[in-house]
Amino acid sequence: MRTLVAGAILLLAFSAPAHAYLHFSITVGGRSLDVKWRRSPVRWFAADRGAAGVSAADVQAAVTRAFATWQAVPTASIAFEFVGSTSAEPFDDDGISVLGFQAHPEMERVLGATSFLIDTTSGEIVESDIFFNSAFPWSTAGAGDPARFDLESVAVHEVGHFLGLGHSALGETELRPEGGRRVLASGAVMFPIAFGRGNTLDRELQPDDIAGVSSLYPEIGFRQQTGTVRGQVLRDGVGVLGAHVVAFNPRTGELIGGFTLSRDGEFEIAGLSPGPHVIRVEPLDDAELESFFSARTPVDVAFRVTFHHRLVVAPRGGAGERLTVAVQPK
Amino acid sequence: MSRRRSLVAVIAWLVAGSAAAQTPDQRPVRRLEIEAGGGWLAGAGLGSQDANLTANSPVRQPFRLFTTDTRVAGAPALLVRAGFALNRRFGVEGSVTLSRPQLRTSVSGDVEEASALAIVERVDQYFFEGSVVFMLEEWGMGGRTVPFVAGGAGYLRQLHEGLTVVEQGHVYHVGGGLKHWLVARDSGRIRALGLRADARLSLLVKGLSFDSGPRPHPAISGSLFIGF
Repeated sequence: MRTLVAGAILLLAFSAPAHAYLHFSITVGGRSLDVKWRRSPVRWFAADRGAAGVSAADVQAAVTRAFATWQAVPTASIAFEFVGSTSAEPFDDDGISVLGFQAHPEMERVLGATSFLIDTTSGEIVESDIFFNSAFPWSTAGAGDPARFDLESVAVHEVGHFLGLGHSALGETELRPEGGRRVLASGAVMFPIAFGRGNTLDRELQPDDIAGVSSLYPEIGFRQQTGTVRGQVLRDGVGVLGAHVVAFNPRTGELIGGFTLSRDGEFEIAGLSPGPHVIRVEPLDDAELESFFSARTPVDVAFRVTFHHRLVVAPRGGAGERLTVAVQPK
Repeated sequence: MSRRRSLVAVIAWLVAGSAAAQTPDQRPVRRLEIEAGGGWLAGAGLGSQDANLTANSPVRQPFRLFTTDTRVAGAPALLVRAGFALNRRFGVEGSVTLSRPQLRTSVSGDVEEASALAIVERVDQYFFEGSVVFMLEEWGMGGRTVPFVAGGAGYLRQLHEGLTVVEQGHVYHVGGGLKHWLVARDSGRIRALGLRADARLSLLVKGLSFDSGPRPHPAISGSLFIGF
């Protein structure tokens, strides 16, 4: 879901994010299964209506471009097929995946949201719908419209969810005096807070997004050509849950993030370019925690931003030595 | 200790035994020379790189999360070399140089004021090079000491600590130095023995690098050579 400030709505509750970037997952028989499409191409329909200033054809074209952006990732193997227009509504459990506008003026900070219907025995997505909130002004202009939100940018984000990706925490925000947050910068289309009216930068995927989708739908050779960093974040010798761990490759400039996803503080970041990385650990304090984890998850944010004291090498086709990052309390 | 004394004694004997016959003209040509020695390979910057997010602005602008600056420190080096004098002026040689420099990365300027940090890693670095050597006979000093210039190219191989990732590239070098013959004769199993001093500039291309340009590494070395 993409919000003006923060938040998360998923019609189905997922047990926990499984990996970095994040992927959605369910637990079946003690095993964590990625929530993902298992058949390709994924078929989708466009709702047969537009919104103020945006025709149904504009919507279809913008969403088609958003799907094409994800499909074009060379290290991922997923394809989409536009089936046609429909009068069906997004968020109806009707067996078809529908994308289109709906009016939700009560969701004053929600630009769009994605829902899933999944097979709870396998994690397979059988239907996913996206609505764009027509309570906001929208544009599909090539260069954007300073008074309107760019539909394609928000569609790229929501299609990331449609694929099974959760939110990325690669971004910096500041609190607004009137409440909520303003994004200063982001390093992923899947950052939960949108840039703002007129901005079209999120039409383009960033390395964190690419690593995420490639890890979930790997093209042949992806895992052999990339490396993994794994380890543990500790505070006073105790695992930190919900720490944001970022791997920076000084050669490529790529920033790829992950999270500690257990009470032991364990994390794993896959899809890294082989070579040395700088590891930075930060508390999850640039968006609402519910954008990443369920409200019940005891996420620890009371520690200082810390760099690991060594370069960490991600070997091609494997995982390097496990590292331990000790963070200090705030 | 006794082994060292023996080596010194052998060298002294070779020098003593051949000094009377030693002239520049007796320097062996079309013969193999083997060398071993050591030296110092100076460090070089590998480049600065900012960890950038995309700023919230209408056009794409970087937003610096933190910055890194990396350099390879100077380090001692070991070398072995095999040479072949084609004639009195020209020779060809191949060499392997091993060093274990530190890779030093400074991390600073964090947007959330994380403490700056200096990260150190060791790298195993190998140069496999071929060279052409030109002896400057006319600048010879008494016949026993002859300056030379050399240039060549080769393969660069660097292994990160833990030996999990190999970086590959090219190395080019130009330089010169002096060869001093302690022994030079045209018969016997060992036909030449001497010392060599080198100064060179090596340009490393690709390999472990955080920018695209070649990195100049000055180097000096000394070696003992034996001709057969």
